Amino acid sequence: MTSHLSASRPLLLRWGPLLALVIALGFPLGAPNAYWVDVGIGILTFGMLGLGLNLVVGYAGLLDLGYAAFYAIGAYTTAILSTAAHLSFWETLPFAIAFSAIAGVIVGYPTLRLRSDYLAIVTLGFGEIVRITATNLGFTGGPNGIYGIPPASIFGYQFVTENSQYYLALAFLLVVLFFTRHLARSRLGRAWLSLREDESASEAVGVPSVRVKLWAYVFGAIFGGFAGAFFAARLSAISPDSFTYTQSVNILIVVVLGGMASFPGVLLGAGVVVGLPEILRFISNWRLFVFALGLIALMLLRPQGLWPAASRAHDPFRNLGPPGDDEDGLARTRAPADPNAPALEVEGLRRRFGGVLAVDDVSFRVDRGQIVSIIGPNGAGKTTVFNCITGVTRPDAGKVELGGRSVRGMQPHDIVGAGLARTFQGIRLFKALPAFENVLVGMYTRQRAGILGSLLHTRSERREERESLRRTRAWLSFVGLEEIAGVKASELAYGDQRRLEIARALASEPDVLLLDEPAAGMNPSEKRDLMGLVRRIRGLGVTVVLIDHDMNLVMGVSDRVVVIDRGRKIAEGTPEEIQHNQQVVDAYLGSDGGDVDDEAVNTWPS
Amino acid sequence: MQYLINGLTIGSFYALVALGYTMIYGIIRLINFAHGDLFMVGAFMGWTVLGVFSATHAPVAVVLMISLLVAMAVVGLLAVGMDRIAYQPLLRASRLSILITALGVSLALENGALILFGAGFDTYPTNLLPTTTFLLGGATVSWVQVGMFTLSLLLMLLLYLFVQHTAVGTAMRALSFDQDAARLMGVNVEGVIMITFLLGGVLAAASGVMMGLYYTQINFLMGFLMGLRAFTAAVLGGIGNIPGAMVGGLLIGVLQSFAAGYISSQWQDVIVFAVLILVLVVKPTGIFGERVVERM
Amino acid sequence: MQTKRLAALVATAATASLLLAACGGSTSTSSSASQPIAIGVPVPLSGPYASAGQDIVNGAKLAAAKINKAGGVLGRKIEIVPADDQCDPQVGAQAAQKLVSQNVVGIAGGYCSGASLPESTVFHSQGDLPFVMDASTNPQLTEQGFNDIFRTIGRDDEQGPFAANFIANYLHAKKVVVMDDNTTYAAGLAANTISALKSQYGITADHEVITAGQSDYSSVLTKIGQMHPDVLYYTGYFTEAGLLLKQARAQGLKFTMMGGDATNDPTVLSTAGAAANGFIITTSPLAQFLGTASNYVSQYQAAYNKAPGPYSVYEYDAVSVLASAIKSAGSTNAKKIDAALHQVKDYKGLTGTFSFNKIGDRVPAAYITIIVKNGQFTAYQELNSSGQWVPVP
Repeated sequence: MTSHLSASRPLLLRWGPLLALVIALGFPLGAPNAYWVDVGIGILTFGMLGLGLNLVVGYAGLLDLGYAAFYAIGAYTTAILSTAAHLSFWETLPFAIAFSAIAGVIVGYPTLRLRSDYLAIVTLGFGEIVRITATNLGFTGGPNGIYGIPPASIFGYQFVTENSQYYLALAFLLVVLFFTRHLARSRLGRAWLSLREDESASEAVGVPSVRVKLWAYVFGAIFGGFAGAFFAARLSAISPDSFTYTQSVNILIVVVLGGMASFPGVLLGAGVVVGLPEILRFISNWRLFVFALGLIALMLLRPQGLWPAASRAHDPFRNLGPPGDDEDGLARTRAPADPNAPALEVEGLRRRFGGVLAVDDVSFRVDRGQIVSIIGPNGAGKTTVFNCITGVTRPDAGKVELGGRSVRGMQPHDIVGAGLARTFQGIRLFKALPAFENVLVGMYTRQRAGILGSLLHTRSERREERESLRRTRAWLSFVGLEEIAGVKASELAYGDQRRLEIARALASEPDVLLLDEPAAGMNPSEKRDLMGLVRRIRGLGVTVVLIDHDMNLVMGVSDRVVVIDRGRKIAEGTPEEIQHNQQVVDAYLGSDGGDVDDEAVNTWPS
Repeated sequence: MQYLINGLTIGSFYALVALGYTMIYGIIRLINFAHGDLFMVGAFMGWTVLGVFSATHAPVAVVLMISLLVAMAVVGLLAVGMDRIAYQPLLRASRLSILITALGVSLALENGALILFGAGFDTYPTNLLPTTTFLLGGATVSWVQVGMFTLSLLLMLLLYLFVQHTAVGTAMRALSFDQDAARLMGVNVEGVIMITFLLGGVLAAASGVMMGLYYTQINFLMGFLMGLRAFTAAVLGGIGNIPGAMVGGLLIGVLQSFAAGYISSQWQDVIVFAVLILVLVVKPTGIFGERVVERM
Repeated sequence: MQTKRLAALVATAATASLLLAACGGSTSTSSSASQPIAIGVPVPLSGPYASAGQDIVNGAKLAAAKINKAGGVLGRKIEIVPADDQCDPQVGAQAAQKLVSQNVVGIAGGYCSGASLPESTVFHSQGDLPFVMDASTNPQLTEQGFNDIFRTIGRDDEQGPFAANFIANYLHAKKVVVMDDNTTYAAGLAANTISALKSQYGITADHEVITAGQSDYSSVLTKIGQMHPDVLYYTGYFTEAGLLLKQARAQGLKFTMMGGDATNDPTVLSTAGAAANGFIITTSPLAQFLGTASNYVSQYQAAYNKAPGPYSVYEYDAVSVLASAIKSAGSTNAKKIDAALHQVKDYKGLTGTFSFNKIGDRVPAAYITIIVKNGQFTAYQELNSSGQWVPVP
């Protein structure tokens, strides 16, 4: 699989990492003295921290201003266990990782529901709380910190010289790189990216946002703690001064300056943030001032970072072999919960916003394999009905059953899991991700790879990824986008974006697909194609419910039409019946001069 | 009672700086990390002007007024410059990159001040303000405290009136609600953003000079902690909300004061942050916060 | 005052000429002047303590200039190589590493004990490079079992008993509050003072901790005021001391206020103004109060146009004693210099006559008290040889 990281520089991409590794290996030999090796260790340490934080900030898009807290927890765990309990460095490592992971859960769990700016201050507060606590408590050595931490050793060889510590740091960095790469390219990594791009959209395509964010926190914490453990053993002395807010900010700069979600970027960022001030030492007092100006200039010149994550993927399916008859596999394989129950049944649905009854006692049922449209003037409550069905909005009363099973009150991602998918009125794609990754995110609920599988990139995980990719290709060709699978979603033409959104929804293998104004903004020929697409979707055995104002579309494809006005259902029937229903005509023409929708009037079939 | 007085004094300084955070956030959704450093620059400006005028024998009140006004003007312009150079070009880019330039500006201001004014502490003259005090409910209150508190409230009131009752203020509110819509309605978005930075800078400078006069000690790093506190205050009150920032500032001041008095000074920051986290978990948008649309 | 200064000047001149003569003697035997002997000075040169660090570098340079003027050591010039440790352990370790890579022969410096600790482990691991500290007073530093650590300043655990003695026997205080700012140095001094008060004078002191850098301490002072103490002894740094004085007096609190040697800085006076009067500091004598150093004070003033700061004269002695050890070792070999430093007996420095004990601490450690009078630091009381408090001459 190629991730979005792969740039259009295959040569550099193939040999770049190897070259970087050779340079990194040779650095101590070429360094003028031990001092520069020391700086190199600093860069490697910040590289580890940057890669860890990159999962949180670059991937999941959670602004963390207290990352140094996890670094501190790892360092203190190793320090305390190796001095007080006389464990060896390697024995302390699991504890360091475990404690920082637990800390990640503790900070993450109560706070991840917050908006990201509030999250920023909460993490900042947490960072300060950890530092101040370490300063105030006795067993952490108070402000002195802890001294005499034994160095790491293997078979009696102690990592004390600069060069040996450098290579140890390099090995640690490679370990972090190995695991973070795996995570980033896994199902979980894609879910993080989707959260960063649009949280409610990713929840609506089946990503359990809180849990996925929590994993970002936990992994960020784990790698932070891992780096902290190394730091403690390397310096042999730690104190709270090393884990300040400024340190957290420096790590954040590494990620953003280098390029969010870009691995080479983060490593480069570490080099700049640690190395540049060292190079500038000769100007003493002016050092940080010049560094600050450089930082501003770099951000202004390259707002996406020094080495941004590539936005296009090169032929994402190149390792799959010929397309063949992928499309055969698109038919649903899951048996419905109750084959006799209607695909979707809504009864007595009610939702009040403040004083307004947006949805008032709406009931309708959709039989398996039908195409049903919901129409009504703007503001009639159609989208609110969709939101109540998909769990975005909690209905005040009523019943929502999917294949005979109640889904009312469930979280949106669970409802997707139960077999209901949707698109949005305003397109909500994951803009910075290429088309095929948008579709892959849509498969989240159908994938089984666990955390460990993702982390280790196991055989079964690889097989599943390959299979998902194959299905992605099939879905994209189903909507006619196979050729532009690698293009960033935001760069697609408008009609293509609509179709991509549908492919993403279909990727979750729904029983029922809700389309919210799929034809909005399309030209007549695109609309015709859309009608064909809707029928083909039904042909796969998927039940379709759609909202639209375009009467040609509605009347052309629907088996049944439900009309809603001012929150109430005013009519239901075949397109034929609806067209001749006086109440409907009145509602649309707005006999009382009310809520008339121009487009609806204009597109009323004559 | 004494704790309350102590808390309100420091809290009013926080509130003035917090207003800047909250206004700028409200309008461009940027946590302006350099804002605390504007406060520091204000304090140094006031100090410089006082130094220049201390040689002349102008009346104290006049000298104070001049230094306050000069500091406010200089820092206001500095804030505008900061906006034009470092923020405006990135308004359409990722929110994090602008955050990093804000951190860069903060670092540049701190180290610029280090180069200009040195690393040590500079001190305001201690003999400018009267030291007379009076007793209030068993607490000692100085007239300076009363003056500072009144002046802060006055500035906040002026700002509030400005935002509520002038055309520019209305434009600011429109902008914080929906930037694109405001632009369509003919609001000069760049201009309003500039005025917001100007106001934020002016208030921060006022707070800086007042704090310099009150505590006498100023240092190139003083903006850091102030920024942190004021930011906390703004979030506690509900970031983007002007009365929220005022209440948040005073609340943080009082909370700190009571924490130091009844628990322990070394844990006061832990307590403040713990309360903040608790408030946010219970009410995720702060005390006065409304839902704000997020831009990423 | 005038006559005293003159006497001091003469004394210093005498010491200096002695030193001069000694150095001059060695140059003649040495062969051609080759590369300079590099002496590293790790101190904070950025961040809040940068000015103190700069003072120390200045002191080192004055010492080097003096030695070089007299022909240097082993026929080679002394070169001062500063390194910024930002008072930060991690940066300190890197700064130390950098100094090692610049081939320093020895190290004279240090300001924050927190940074000096990791620095000392670096120097120790790099072939026992001699490290003579001028300002880091944390006891732990010389108790790591390293044989290459020395200091020209007293330890915190000597200042604590000294302060306790003063509080109990001179001030006759009954109720005492000891306060620190939770830094390595201040917490150590506070703990030593409290334990000395308890064990030797039966006084149970209350302990308060503040966080440095917060401008406003009025609430913690209100709390202390309600305890009605006779003395508040603050062991932290000068920045907060000035604020504490000002804010305590503004609340009308009248107890005696004392500070540890890190409060010994003119900033206290400018911050607190009239409120500083009566503030008593326990300190290693400032250059200004050292009869032996008044020449140094004027030299420093002339060279840098400011007062020498509290530690630069100790740095001067650190560089000088290191240079003299290199000379008597007759070599720039680290282990030989360490051995020579251990041999130092009754070295006549600007800060008095001292030796190093077997772990490298200065003996005897000199402490005095000074008091603020009319907005000026004035020498106050010291212990005479029979343990009585007498005014500093």
